[in-house]
Amino acid sequence: MIKLTRMAAMATVLAVGTAMYSPAAFAQDSIYVPNLSYRTGPFAATGIPLMNGQRDYVMMLNARDGGVGGVKLDYDECETGYSTEKGVECYEKTKDKAVVTQPWSTGITLQVLPKTNVDKIPILAPGYGFSPMADGKIFQWAFNPPAGYWDAASMILEYLSGGDMASLKGKKIAFLHLDHPYGKEPIPLFEAMAKKYGFTFLPIPVGLKEMQNQSAQWLQIRRERPDNVIMWGWGAMNAGAITEAVKTKYPMDKFIGIWWSGSDDDMLTVGEAGKGYKSISWSQPQPDSQAMADIKKYVIDAGNSLVENPDVDTKKVFYQRGIVISMILVEGIKAAQEHFGVKAVNAEQVRWGLENLDMNAETLAALGATGMVPPFKTSCGNHTGHSGAWMLEWDGAKFVPVSDLLQADQSAIEPLIEQKAKEYAEANAPWPVNNDCKE
Amino acid sequence: MLNQIFVKPFVDMVSAPDFLLQVVWEGLVSGVLYALIALGFVLIYKSSRIFNFAQGIMVVFAALTLVGLHENGVPALLALPLTLVVMYLLAMAIERVVLRPLVNQPDIILFMATIGITLFLVGFGELIFGGENKVMITEQLGIPTGSYTFEPWGGLLILEQKDITAVIGAIVLVLALLLFLNRSKMGRAIRALGDDHQAALSVGISLSTIWVLVWFIAGIIALATGIVWGARAGVSFALEVIAYKALPVLMLGGLESVSGAIIGGLMIGILEKLFEIYWGQPLMGGNTETWFAFVLALFVLLFRPQGLFGERIIERV
Repeated sequence: MIKLTRMAAMATVLAVGTAMYSPAAFAQDSIYVPNLSYRTGPFAATGIPLMNGQRDYVMMLNARDGGVGGVKLDYDECETGYSTEKGVECYEKTKDKAVVTQPWSTGITLQVLPKTNVDKIPILAPGYGFSPMADGKIFQWAFNPPAGYWDAASMILEYLSGGDMASLKGKKIAFLHLDHPYGKEPIPLFEAMAKKYGFTFLPIPVGLKEMQNQSAQWLQIRRERPDNVIMWGWGAMNAGAITEAVKTKYPMDKFIGIWWSGSDDDMLTVGEAGKGYKSISWSQPQPDSQAMADIKKYVIDAGNSLVENPDVDTKKVFYQRGIVISMILVEGIKAAQEHFGVKAVNAEQVRWGLENLDMNAETLAALGATGMVPPFKTSCGNHTGHSGAWMLEWDGAKFVPVSDLLQADQSAIEPLIEQKAKEYAEANAPWPVNNDCKE
Repeated sequence: MLNQIFVKPFVDMVSAPDFLLQVVWEGLVSGVLYALIALGFVLIYKSSRIFNFAQGIMVVFAALTLVGLHENGVPALLALPLTLVVMYLLAMAIERVVLRPLVNQPDIILFMATIGITLFLVGFGELIFGGENKVMITEQLGIPTGSYTFEPWGGLLILEQKDITAVIGAIVLVLALLLFLNRSKMGRAIRALGDDHQAALSVGISLSTIWVLVWFIAGIIALATGIVWGARAGVSFALEVIAYKALPVLMLGGLESVSGAIIGGLMIGILEKLFEIYWGQPLMGGNTETWFAFVLALFVLLFRPQGLFGERIIERV
């Protein structure tokens, strides 16, 4: 009953909030920032904390500063359930007013990628999407800061090798991944690295229907005896894999996940038994930061957050990553406002802003977000920023950093980005290219 | 290639018998769970000719209710019967609000109605419980969580205690169900309705009572399935996806056959695991479990369109 009452109150808050922030109320004095969210379906466990973080940061800016540069942000969610078809529908539904699209799935990103060239809306896909989007000359409208999947793959290998990539020679590395465009994304880089450094790369796909019963995959791991397992999981697949790893007694300290496989909630099922599991991450929680204090003051204490248990949930990795994602978008909007001298910027102007992000240490300090994300900078030729990332480790109750900032081997990534971006443009010819960019 | 298909897999099985045992055990556990889900479909189809699309979401709803009650301070052993009460109320509501007004409508209408029930339960469940991953209250329910380790032929065999409990629990549930269907008055009424609706109604069997009963039994099965699957990887709306694993079981075993659901489930569970490990992974890069069961069912349907244990329908014109 308490829960029902609470949900009813939240629904009322949402309804009032929606009415207050409706386009009619804002007219031209608002900036419409839709989010193709997934709070429902098999991947909801990953989506909910991320969306909550994104939403709360925007709500905080609206409450504390009256928005950005004096203009309110009209944050809106369109539910996709992580379905590519629904994601495309949401894109079409929101594109007329949107200054950005946040597709939230590599599958949706790949579908809307060609459309954004025509509709002239920037895609913001922080830490996900198609890795060659880093090439801003070819993918003018797509951004995946602060780090891409190939950065992650490179940094994980760097960590496993202890800084000496030659030491990987002769080793066997299993790659447990969701059988989905997202899960397959880093395979080209892993294959190139395996060839270069002489290790065996063993891809192990997990189907959508097998996410919660991965016994076959873990039997294969038991038979193959890999030196390490790298996981590219999403949603329920993460908890399923970690449970099976515990069951088959696979050493947790040899098991590393991508940043989307590092959610506190995924570890709850195994708790202490998951101790030692690691996840590469371009964000880390800073519960004592000024940004968090402001969110608590202006959103949570005001009863405007959708977070169920603020004392616990707001300290988790994914919630705080959601905050960083909205922060990146807002900094892009700010940069556009300053450059063009316009308050209610449009999509093309926001594209410029995202292309000229400078999230340096001073900026992060001014935002009250020091340590939440590594400093990075984008440009017309570099839409990712390649910030680097930290290795986080599950200590039985929470994720804690266990490495300094790691950096990807750009000499291995850049030629692959260039090659794959070129192949994509040729396969989708005529593809518009930014010839003005001389980087 | 012929060696890879016809010789190597069997050599591997013989050379590592402990691993083969582990594969068969994992397949058996999966098979028992598939059979449980399929049973929910079969019971409802048998008594009402409705293909219950909502069975998957009922698994989620039952598991979330159990965990949700416990999160709100209800002791686990009290939360269990209370969840059963909720499933009974759900069965009553479905009969009263959805099925009763649709009596005598074509099968497809009733099928569409179960899709409606699915969508309602998804929304209602998310409103009440949220979409976050939750931990099944395994230990609180007294389900052991450790494992037994054996070393047959100098190898390794790991049997999870919760898997053993799941298999024993499923066997007890199925036996109880078979006893109920074959020995009790209500069970015979369900079978009579399955055989001939009009004849059953003419001898005074109440359609609405039977429908509430079968939907309640499907709810009990959903709860058992939810506890077992939830204990493996948490309770979330992703559990709904596992219902799709029951479809090839139904195609193989037949939609009306309780024994077909059980044998079909076990067959698919064990065969798909053996195929994946000894042929799928070495030859096709793995993940054959997504399609193997359907291909197997399709193959059976070529020769027995009613499934292995389904009733042969002869329509005279």
